[in-house]
Amino acid sequence: MAMKTTLVGGFPKIGDRIEEQKLRKSFHQFDKDELSEEALEQVKDEVTEEVIQLEEANGIDLLTDGLIRWEDPLRYFVSRVSGFELSGLIRYFDTNTFYRQPVCESRLETIKPIFVRDFEFARGKSSKPVRVILPGPFTIAKLSVNHFYKEQKQFVFDLAHLIHKEALQLEEAGCEFIQFDEPALLSHKEDIRLFFDVYRIVTAQLSKSEKTIFFNFGNIQDIYPKILDLPVERLGFDLTQGHPNWEVLAKAKMTKKLMAGIIDSRNTKMEREADLLSLVGGLGSIADPDETWLTHNYSLEFLPRENAIQKIKLLTQVASQQKGAGVS
Amino acid sequence: MILETTTVGSFPKPEYLTKSRFQFSKQQISREELLRLEQQATKEWVEFQEEIGIDILVDGEMYRGDMVTYFAENFKGFEISGLVRSYGNRYYRKPVAVAEIERLNPVTVEWYQFTQALTKKPVKGMLTGPYTIMDWSFDEFYPSRRDFCLRLAEVIREEARDLEAAGAQFIQIDEPAVSVRPEELDLAIEAMGIVTNGLKAKTLTHICYGNFEKIYPKMLEIPVDQIDLELSNAEYDLLDLFKRHPFTREIGLGVVDVHSHRLESKEEVKKRIRKAASLIPLKQIYVSPDCGLKTRSVEEAKAKLRVMMEATLEVREEFGSEGA
Ligand SMILES: [Zn+2]
Repeated sequence: MAMKTTLVGGFPKIGDRIEEQKLRKSFHQFDKDELSEEALEQVKDEVTEEVIQLEEANGIDLLTDGLIRWEDPLRYFVSRVSGFELSGLIRYFDTNTFYRQPVCESRLETIKPIFVRDFEFARGKSSKPVRVILPGPFTIAKLSVNHFYKEQKQFVFDLAHLIHKEALQLEEAGCEFIQFDEPALLSHKEDIRLFFDVYRIVTAQLSKSEKTIFFNFGNIQDIYPKILDLPVERLGFDLTQGHPNWEVLAKAKMTKKLMAGIIDSRNTKMEREADLLSLVGGLGSIADPDETWLTHNYSLEFLPRENAIQKIKLLTQVASQQKGAGVS
Repeated sequence: MILETTTVGSFPKPEYLTKSRFQFSKQQISREELLRLEQQATKEWVEFQEEIGIDILVDGEMYRGDMVTYFAENFKGFEISGLVRSYGNRYYRKPVAVAEIERLNPVTVEWYQFTQALTKKPVKGMLTGPYTIMDWSFDEFYPSRRDFCLRLAEVIREEARDLEAAGAQFIQIDEPAVSVRPEELDLAIEAMGIVTNGLKAKTLTHICYGNFEKIYPKMLEIPVDQIDLELSNAEYDLLDLFKRHPFTREIGLGVVDVHSHRLESKEEVKKRIRKAASLIPLKQIYVSPDCGLKTRSVEEAKAKLRVMMEATLEVREEFGSEGA
């Protein structure tokens, strides 16, 4: 009868205290050849474990590994796909962060699973379920340059097949929750039909896991309720106070499960608990409250670690209040 | 003179200064000692700019860390956040507005005066624009981005007026963030209007990381005399836009890429200037690098500036009397 809480994905890799800075220090040492690659990977594992424990200690129900190993939203995946080269730094949507632009130079292929090991590592560190975040093929394609495929469509479809393969391997490894991040759809709504084609490929034969598509960096006007037909079980949106998505969602019954980003993770300002509780109350009229997840609207990496932790605490506090109040 | 040359603002800090900034942060050297080294580095950069013949000088920002945080640290109402990541292993601290923003004292005027006293050529006053400071800060005080931005505009306006009173003939108000959210361009224009209204100095703004297609030609409404653009990084696609909508302001033409180690050839730079000159009247063109050079090494930065100057001098010759 309670709404569950989760992270949309990333968590700050370092904090301001010395003991929270080892990853940054290790990268420095690695760059100067003072640390081996194995030792650096070991530090990434340690920080990942700390983040998982931090989520659990603060009452998050469905954990992520905080994407500690990800350099940017695309690179972790594309640098492990043969056929991609990496080019210059490009601003990531309207943020003040950057990604290396992938350039497709030949047919895309993966040799071995990319995300299974990370999933197994995270699962081994917690008794709670671990959700795996995958970069969505549509967004990868939109943020990349294609020099190889004659047709852009073929480029996207090959990416869809690769992500599908990852998802299938994750299911086989026992992963129950898979999320595809697709921010780029909201700035390319004209491609909605292509998006459906992509997700037919991505989700084919996936039957064991619950699949989520997460949308941010925009609103879902003009594509909602159409996106309710996507072949996934759950959709995630920015539902912070005053976001245009509230009005759009009021127009049609939400027939899928909802992941609601009610806390703003791009500003340090703390929301008032009462305001959040009234937002949560409003969710009850949009989607099935028993199946709704509460979260924030963007990766927590946009915040300093201390602020990210405060926002997580607030989230779980609101979820437990809501449970106590027994919102109908 | 045609094709006057300038730079966007920041230069790389020499190694001795980077080291002393670190030592200062660990309280190993005094504020006075750091200032002495900042002044020494500023002098060296002024000498270099004069030596290669740049027309409009900058102080090189030897005393600034980040272009937004520098102002936030000197305004009342801001705190500085914990570390956030921008890319890779690079982290920075963001300003956080926690109370009404106020300027208690002039922030940049002393540095302007110090630098101007070193040269007979004009030195630009260098400010960060209200829209960019707003966009790159957290806000725990103002009810909206608009309120925050317009308050900053009032504060930056005071600084611009003080620079003008101190003798600055050129005042640059950088707005690199303006190209990121086309839907907020009107706000950026309104805020810039507050800053530049009534100034007699020539006003400039620098914009980068462009999604220029989305803000052009509307961008020309930003109320400044000159707009400086990152162009070489975008392989000059932008110039095709100017065929459809003429560029009606003066342009600061970015001709060398500051994000790449590669040194452009003189021919490459000349081609870029000629192409721009085919679309924009010569007297409206100023030549500069794409952006601040602070991310390059001192040697790389100097090499790029030399190529820029050599190419510009040769193109000036080509156009000869035509522009005189
Ligand atoms: Zn720039």
